[in-house]
Amino acid sequence: MSASAETLQPGASNGASGHSSDERRADGFIVTVAVLGLLLLGALIALETAPFLVTLFAVGAVLGVALYHGAFGFTGGWRAFVVHKRSGGLRAQLALLALASVLFIPVLGTVEPGSAMSGAVAPVGVSLVVGAFLFGFGMQLGGGCGSGTLFTVGAGNIRMVLTLVFFIVGSVIGTMHLPWWLELPGMNPVSLIGGLGVWGALAVQLALCAALAWWVGSIERRHHGRIQQRVFAGPDRGFLSNLFKGQWPLFWAVVVLATGNLAVLLLSGHPWGITFAFGLWGAKFLQAVGVDMSQFEFWTWDYPALALADSVLVNVTSVTNFGLLLGAMLAAGLAGRYNQASSGRIPPRSLLAAVLGGLIMGYGARLAFGCNIGALFSGIASASLHGWIWFAAAWVGSLLGVQARPWFSLSNN
Amino acid sequence: MQRHYKRWRVIVILLLIGGAVVADHIDSPTFRMNMGEGGLETTLTQRQSQTSACAPCGAPCRPED
Repeated sequence: MSASAETLQPGASNGASGHSSDERRADGFIVTVAVLGLLLLGALIALETAPFLVTLFAVGAVLGVALYHGAFGFTGGWRAFVVHKRSGGLRAQLALLALASVLFIPVLGTVEPGSAMSGAVAPVGVSLVVGAFLFGFGMQLGGGCGSGTLFTVGAGNIRMVLTLVFFIVGSVIGTMHLPWWLELPGMNPVSLIGGLGVWGALAVQLALCAALAWWVGSIERRHHGRIQQRVFAGPDRGFLSNLFKGQWPLFWAVVVLATGNLAVLLLSGHPWGITFAFGLWGAKFLQAVGVDMSQFEFWTWDYPALALADSVLVNVTSVTNFGLLLGAMLAAGLAGRYNQASSGRIPPRSLLAAVLGGLIMGYGARLAFGCNIGALFSGIASASLHGWIWFAAAWVGSLLGVQARPWFSLSNN
Repeated sequence: MQRHYKRWRVIVILLLIGGAVVADHIDSPTFRMNMGEGGLETTLTQRQSQTSACAPCGAPCRPED
């Protein structure tokens, strides 16, 4: 069994999940370290930056707990449907997109042009399609998507640290090539809110989510005779035990992730994203070792240039990511499962898959204007056409990635 | 409870990451502005002055439209 991918199977046996008969003790050391980390970094952000960034840091921590305790991974959910025709994870993701649409679209519909708040809307073109396809392929090899990689790293998964390092490398390379990709055919961002109005956009989004949920559910029913009731299943060990030690019912994770993304939008002016920070961290490293990043067009654009020059503590994406990492660490400590997914030998081919998957995901995320969070979740919640196209292209890439997994000693079971 | 990690490794890794974050911050315009230096453009001043949203998704910022 791979030491990584199973951490991302929503609700299945994994490093993040609990079982009704498995009462674990919290890991006091990890919980203490995570809480101290949250307090110290939170205090530094409070002292040096602005109050909204402290709140964003806290929101990131809650998102990390939700991702870990909900075992909410996009990668495993997609694979479970493709391989086993089990749709619970995928239906949870569609419920997440539907709820987020309900929360986001009325808010974004009231935003005046020129406002400092906007949804995740991005151009539609060759760059988006190729990037999302690559991301979908890479996430099956890497063992996790953007959020999955980050929360499993926070939970101490060694293999996913390798995926993250090469995710960062791929992201930086992607920033160097993005201007070239943007010269290829494409069109300006398309917002369904702009074209259909608030209620029209919301109706289309909800209809799409419902139709997809019905379709994947019907396929599961055809293969298994019935649909697993996973999305709305209640806690199996009592509210408080599930809340603090996991595993969360998927619906809890759906509600927290959707409202958390709305909180990021209201606080920062933009929906939740993850991977811009990966490129930023890599570029900062290169700059620190003497590389002149201004030779690359991407790093001369207003937002990236100032992000590169300024502190990571004022970069919204980085601050949220720091909170997420520590939140996942706290959750893993409370569950008594920190680093558990790294026990045992990791096959060399699995490590090679982590390297390749990370590189491909990083490159793809930059071309596609984000990962499963920034482009898929936030893009669709913002009623941006690019989010739906990202979904379709990444799905095709993921199909090929699932086929490639056995070559890298990665189980599809 | 069986641990699958070494405590000192967790602490060293977090200290290294924390040190990198602090070093990056001390070298930033935000820190220099906090120390009293004026006339600097920082992320927070850019945020206050911007008239159109620029999402951190990596897409080129669009002019106000």
